[in-house]
Amino acid sequence: MAVSIGGGQAGDGAPVPARPVPGRTRREAARALRFCAFAAAVTAPVAAALRTQRPGPGGAPSGTVFAETYRGRRIGMVWTPPHGPAGQGRWYVTVDGRPLHLMRRADGTWLSMVDHYCSYPSPLEAARAAVDALGPGQRLREPAQGPGGAGHMHMENRRGVRT
Amino acid sequence: MAYVRRDAGTLTRAEQRRFVKALLEVKRRGEYDEFVRMHIEYFSADGEHGPRAAHMAPSFLPWHRRFLLDLEGALRRVDSSVTVPYWDWTRDRTTTSTPWTAHLLGGDGRRSDHQVTTGPFAHREGHWTLKVNVTDRVFLTRDLGRPGNPIGLPTRSELEWALKDPVYDTAPWDSTVTRGFRNKLEGWGAGRGNTAWRNHNRVHGWVGGDMLGGASVNDPVFWLHHAFIDLQWYRWQRRHRDARYLPATPPRRGDRQHGRIVARRQSLPPWDVTPAELEDVGRIYRYA
Repeated sequence: MAVSIGGGQAGDGAPVPARPVPGRTRREAARALRFCAFAAAVTAPVAAALRTQRPGPGGAPSGTVFAETYRGRRIGMVWTPPHGPAGQGRWYVTVDGRPLHLMRRADGTWLSMVDHYCSYPSPLEAARAAVDALGPGQRLREPAQGPGGAGHMHMENRRGVRT
Repeated sequence: MAYVRRDAGTLTRAEQRRFVKALLEVKRRGEYDEFVRMHIEYFSADGEHGPRAAHMAPSFLPWHRRFLLDLEGALRRVDSSVTVPYWDWTRDRTTTSTPWTAHLLGGDGRRSDHQVTTGPFAHREGHWTLKVNVTDRVFLTRDLGRPGNPIGLPTRSELEWALKDPVYDTAPWDSTVTRGFRNKLEGWGAGRGNTAWRNHNRVHGWVGGDMLGGASVNDPVFWLHHAFIDLQWYRWQRRHRDARYLPATPPRRGDRQHGRIVARRQSLPPWDVTPAELEDVGRIYRYA
């Protein structure tokens, strides 16, 4: 079963937690608008150019590359299509040039290693949430270089974690 | 005889000191970072291939129960009087209440970079340098209540909403299920905003900083939070006497969850133990 993005849990009797503060909705709306504008400006022309290729998650076509500066951080995203019909494609996402590991939920939403207990409708929003959580001056860890890091390569590839 | 896990707010100053000292010693020995690493390794998401044991799965509760027992074992090898206390976040709900005190876990992170600068786990004390992490940061961070975009702790009624569900878990046994005690407690919701975070997940979000990420074990509050989550499983069992861990048998071939989740009598990786064996640990510990 997949839950549609943005779908609620109507009828399950879930309590609605107290609204934290006014302004949050405005902030989220502003974010959503920014995202829509960005998606329209960037994804649409690329999609038109690459229309014949297989679409990836979020409607992004194969080989899509885009980047934006968000709160002073450079977010880069490259979609790698799946190898073969049974494979899964991957977003390779970087923040300031360093890899940010993303995971996908069964409902199609995304979470990152930095913000790991909540998910977002798109990889870009997950990357922005990671930037929000990183805090000033903090950077993702640098990928291990050379043979010295080979012992942890499996984990690093999957998680982007300093070990 | 079974030992007792206590409410962190009831520990004496001496008990707090012994707990903290044991944690720092486990860290000094290098054992603590193995717990951080293991938690990262077993965090698999349900939208990808592969088995899930620790999150977005029925075995969320037994996996963390066993994980806590391992940490508690490491602490008790240092000091046999120590047990993991629990943080009752339905009662201790402010940024200065238990466990955010100078003699237990220290306080909130400072505003500029969220660095924890008070208490025994402050970096400047020299005993708590983060070694396994998703960033290159070596100091502990917190952002209690996330003032920049405030989030509340789960309420007592939200916890009650999970506890009153008489079924442990339901198909498809992942983060999308809207019924069943397990995911109502684990807290994967749908949509954005308030409904996206519940109970367990919401507490990770409220603490923020390191608790928000895959390396959340770096903040020792992880254990106090998960002891309270573990206590909820016990309370749920007492309330629903005939209810058991589900699924009782593994999903069949052809089911999308086949080979991806742990049924009642299957081995829970990385240990040689089953959820059934972890359903009653009353001979090992109890809650006060």
